[in-house]
Amino acid sequence: MAGESSQKKAKKPTLEYIQVAFDTPRRYDWSTGKYLGKFYAEAKENGRIVGNRCPKCREIWLPPTPVCPKCKVDMGWDWVELPQTGTVTQYTYLVYPLWDPHYGEKWANPYPSGIIQLDDGTYYRHFLEETDKDKLRVGMRVQAVWKEDYDERGQGPNDILYFRTIEDQEVKR
Amino acid sequence: MVERVGIVAAGQTKYHPDRSDVNEEELAYEAIKQVLEATGLNLSDIDSAVSCSQDFWDGRTISDMNVQHVVGAHLGHEDKVAEDGINAVYLAMGHILSGHHDVVLVVTHMKESQGEKSLIENAAFDPVLMRPLGLDFLAAAALQAKRYMYKYGITAEQCAKVAVKNRSNARNNPFAQEPMDITVEDVLGSKILAYPIRLLDTKPISDGACAVILAREEKAKKLTPKPVWISGASNCYETHYLGDRDLADCDALVKAAKKAYNMAGIKNPLRQMDVAEISGEYSYQELLWMEGLGFCGCGEGGKLLDAGATKMGGKMPVNPSGGMLAGNPNGVGGMTRVAEAVLQLRGEAGDRQVPGARVALAHGVTGICGQHQCVMVLSNK
Amino acid sequence: MGQTYHTSKRPDVNQAEMVGEAVRAALADAQLSIKEIEGVFFSNMETFEGIYLPDHGMAAEVGNFGKPGLKVCTGGTSGGSLVVEGFYMVASGLYDLALVIGFEKQDCGDTTAAITAAATPVWGKGATTGAIGEFAKAALSYMETSGAREEHAAMVRLKADQGACRNPYAHLKLGLKSVDEILKSGYLVWPLRLLDFCPQSCGACALIFASEKRAGKITKKPVWIADVEVVHQEPFRAGTFGDPTGKETYTQHVACERLYKRNGITNPRKDIDMAEIYEPSNWEEMSLYEHFHFCEKNEGWKMIEKGITEIEGEFPVNCSGGVLATNPIGATPVIRVAEAALQIRGDAGEHQVTKDVKTALASALGGPNWTVLTLLKRLL
Repeated sequence: MAGESSQKKAKKPTLEYIQVAFDTPRRYDWSTGKYLGKFYAEAKENGRIVGNRCPKCREIWLPPTPVCPKCKVDMGWDWVELPQTGTVTQYTYLVYPLWDPHYGEKWANPYPSGIIQLDDGTYYRHFLEETDKDKLRVGMRVQAVWKEDYDERGQGPNDILYFRTIEDQEVKR
Repeated sequence: MVERVGIVAAGQTKYHPDRSDVNEEELAYEAIKQVLEATGLNLSDIDSAVSCSQDFWDGRTISDMNVQHVVGAHLGHEDKVAEDGINAVYLAMGHILSGHHDVVLVVTHMKESQGEKSLIENAAFDPVLMRPLGLDFLAAAALQAKRYMYKYGITAEQCAKVAVKNRSNARNNPFAQEPMDITVEDVLGSKILAYPIRLLDTKPISDGACAVILAREEKAKKLTPKPVWISGASNCYETHYLGDRDLADCDALVKAAKKAYNMAGIKNPLRQMDVAEISGEYSYQELLWMEGLGFCGCGEGGKLLDAGATKMGGKMPVNPSGGMLAGNPNGVGGMTRVAEAVLQLRGEAGDRQVPGARVALAHGVTGICGQHQCVMVLSNK
Repeated sequence: MGQTYHTSKRPDVNQAEMVGEAVRAALADAQLSIKEIEGVFFSNMETFEGIYLPDHGMAAEVGNFGKPGLKVCTGGTSGGSLVVEGFYMVASGLYDLALVIGFEKQDCGDTTAAITAAATPVWGKGATTGAIGEFAKAALSYMETSGAREEHAAMVRLKADQGACRNPYAHLKLGLKSVDEILKSGYLVWPLRLLDFCPQSCGACALIFASEKRAGKITKKPVWIADVEVVHQEPFRAGTFGDPTGKETYTQHVACERLYKRNGITNPRKDIDMAEIYEPSNWEEMSLYEHFHFCEKNEGWKMIEKGITEIEGEFPVNCSGGVLATNPIGATPVIRVAEAALQIRGDAGEHQVTKDVKTALASALGGPNWTVLTLLKRLL
């Protein structure tokens, strides 16, 4: 119609979404404390895996802890050296890359990780060297492989690079 | 309240600028050991635990995972509060009053030395509108201090006097981090951090932990000959955006205090209470919060201080422990106030004891310019 | 109660506004105004969105300014802990009317990174593969010990999707048609497929709790919280979710045994009518059937095979689509309670289960296998 077509409609402002992104690294200085500190020291200086033992129930805890979770008593200072070989009880491998948010590094790819039962019965979660997923099996026997360079150590459990498969020993579950 | 909730033990670590000798769980355990020893309880006697820590400060998600075993939460009940520690005590009170638990352990821990204060606090601000301004709690507090001083004529000297009083009080407190013998001139001559706040108007970086055990009335009486009762408690939020409120007012605190006072039957705070432990990271805050707590009218915090009412021996000694200014981590500060109030009411506050204290106030604050306030009235009657 | 329509990205709202939607929905459902609410409690994992003190930031939008309240934060169980805390605060007599809100806006941050950050930074850097890796290990153990096959996991996934498609609030509505379709999809962290794990969602859920004397005046159909139970444990239990040692105690066992004993439940499948459990993966759902004593050990996969846990089944579980379809972490346990309550009220619409629901169990799971249980009833 004549009147309407000559009117020019003002353009309505369109809805715009604002996006704000922050990419700020935050620095943290974490302490290991006394108990984890002992583990770190033993790993770095002596290439040993240690756990601490509860005075009441005699269970060995890894990672070391100031209080026995089960008995709820003070653990004291009773340290036990643990074996460096064990059996894989659970494992998994990542198909996509993951970033470690604490350290900003890319990790866990391609190394699989697993729960290893050390020969004394204590359980320990760590990387496995075997990257071929067809070769991974529950029951595999594995052994700790340490970082050779002393200066690269001091990372506690990460002083152990991974657990290497000991070929001809398989435990049937 | 039909049945009362009692605090049967309170423990704290000596506050220190850098506890790199311990990790979070060991730090918390130091405080927990004290309360266990005081009551003769074991971790297995605890029905539930409430912990308080800040994920952002600990640098890990689910930061209560750190302390599970030291609070006895192996196959036990534990909850985490993400505000100042005094709110964990409040929540624990709810645990007991609901009838589900009889003995509750509360612990708060924080290591300010671990993280970057400004960046962490900046993350509390609204990401779109306020964060890009680069604000942290100090900058926001400076805005509040200036507004408060402008509106009511509070002077820098009055704020400085708070710092002088508290640092001096701290000399009687074996747990205090930085007791100091300073003068108003020292404070006014110290470095400006964010105008008008100077270095000595604020608190140092601090690491520490605080723990208390709460129990229902009957049990409390068996656990200690000197239980301290929580006769009133409440908390309250304020608006977030700094422009939404007049920073010189503290409505949230007024509301929280009113509720707590109603519960405790307090109509005249100055007359009916004997000592107050008030949180505040910056010196002006003690004056402002006193107004919110009803110790004096709006804008009269400075006058009350000048009249000597809040110093040791005055009508209402405020912060005989030295308060947060002498060194308390934020997040733990409010709960330390509770612990100190408990010591006062048990007559165990040593050289900083207010003689004959029967009713005490503990106050905690979380967030930007005291956005979240919590007030607790304790008594030993 | 009120929920937002959960989805993966909400660019149209910020965190506060999203929560505001849930709050308004809850208030409308109860026909109350925010003024009458006495306290507001929140649950949220602040590191997921990178917002410190989020309950402060939304004071204006949600209306908690001028009101008491606080925030709890315990990882995956945050929402569960929130329900428990809200329950205690009202049961204690300190509040008559409380609003509890669980929320998470996961498009704001990197959730996997944040969950991985739950590992203590001073132990095992890199060896914790986030939540997914732990569930993958557990799934492997379950396959080995119980005889469950990947087909069973796929059946659980199918059930979840079918439920989600009937639930207007659910996030992932994939329209899956068959088990084969699922078995063809790709692996994420072996043996978990992309479809086997919960998504990252944005959403909020708000519940209004009222004391006994107020509840009857507000609504004709109150749903009662009969009991709650919280069981935690320290981290680093070997195989956090699937125990290879054979001698670890699961928090789920301890929690449900305590809860059942206190409430006189001797045969869970008969005494309880349905459950909304927190299952981050379909394998975990089968394990949880066993943990909560809905069936015998190593028989969880038989329940899904026989269709017992379907909507029309004898013991429906997660007919809303569960966590597999929707997972805004801070809100998820609250959603479980909300969904269970909807079933009791008979208001679940298309995903209402066939049988009459008088008693329901809602569970939350989080952290290193923590459990929070809430028992809901139509009549106390």
